[in-house]
Amino acid sequence: MKAALFIAFACLVALSSAQDGAKLLASKTLLNQWLVEGRDMTVLYTIYNVGSSAASQVVLNDESFAESDFAVVSGQLKVQWDRISPASNVTHAVILQPLKNGFYNVTHATVTYVPSEGSEARTAYTSAPGKAGVVAVKDYDRRFSPHYMDWAAFAVMTIAPIGIPFLLWFRSKSKYEALSFKTKKH
Amino acid sequence: MASILQATFVCVFLAVFAPHFSLAESCIGASFNSKTYTTTDGALSTETVFLVEFQLSCKNKISNIFLNAEVDGKQIPVSRSGDNKYQVSWTAEHKKAPSGTYSVCIYDEEGFSALRKALRTGEESKVKPLITVPVDHPGVSKGPWVSTEIIATGIAGLVWYAAFATKKSIQS
Repeated sequence: MKAALFIAFACLVALSSAQDGAKLLASKTLLNQWLVEGRDMTVLYTIYNVGSSAASQVVLNDESFAESDFAVVSGQLKVQWDRISPASNVTHAVILQPLKNGFYNVTHATVTYVPSEGSEARTAYTSAPGKAGVVAVKDYDRRFSPHYMDWAAFAVMTIAPIGIPFLLWFRSKSKYEALSFKTKKH
Repeated sequence: MASILQATFVCVFLAVFAPHFSLAESCIGASFNSKTYTTTDGALSTETVFLVEFQLSCKNKISNIFLNAEVDGKQIPVSRSGDNKYQVSWTAEHKKAPSGTYSVCIYDEEGFSALRKALRTGEESKVKPLITVPVDHPGVSKGPWVSTEIIATGIAGLVWYAAFATKKSIQS
């Protein structure tokens, strides 16, 4: 009788833990102050396991970046972890480059995982960064580049209005100095 | 009663054979080729990102094992993105990620649990990583220190001062 009770209790514990299982919360953020066409942009995914057991076969898949608009520089948009232990988090980064300027709606990525052994796979969604404005390189450079060429052109242009009067003055000055030197000699 | 006997048998079986299963999974003679990326443009990005992609090959033809990485005392689970292709990525504040070479130690499950055990007990770990991937970080640049506008204003001021000083010396 005691043994039967013990087995029943063990089954209950197993069931309740199976119901609880792993629970994943995922976020997707852009680590950029400015999104510029043709410059690197970082997407960071963070997955937290807030459940009571480890999540297995966790697959992160992001299909929100169209190949025609974004090029992958480094990293993978579909990855998997065999296991994420409870009360821990994992991060994943991907470097992309926007190919065109304009506004994009950056939506969520999906995370599928098995919450506990023997249970069915569950699908979760990451947070969505929302609308992202990609600035054209020209506009970005106009605001933030050091403008070396522009300043060099400005310097060349200022040579004429400053240099010509200076040369005229310098020639007359040296002429008079030479004259006064001669008169002093006599 | 029979069920208890069965359970005991399963437990004994697992206790005896489980270590052998895990041993069978270890990678022998590991070699790798890697591709790394680190953030260099500090004006655009808010944090420095380190990204290591590597392909692992074992002499005993074992594939798709679960790996963990350790960098500067930080433990990171390694993600897998295909056949024996792995990725480790982490972020740090620009100030806390100085330039230099970082070594990313990759451990298999056995090595990683031994490392964690050593860390828990406070001993110095003697566990050798499966592979060590070097990551060169050239540092984050935020553009020139002094903006070109200030330099141009400075030069204009100097020219004006030279002219003003000459004029004064002629007049006096």
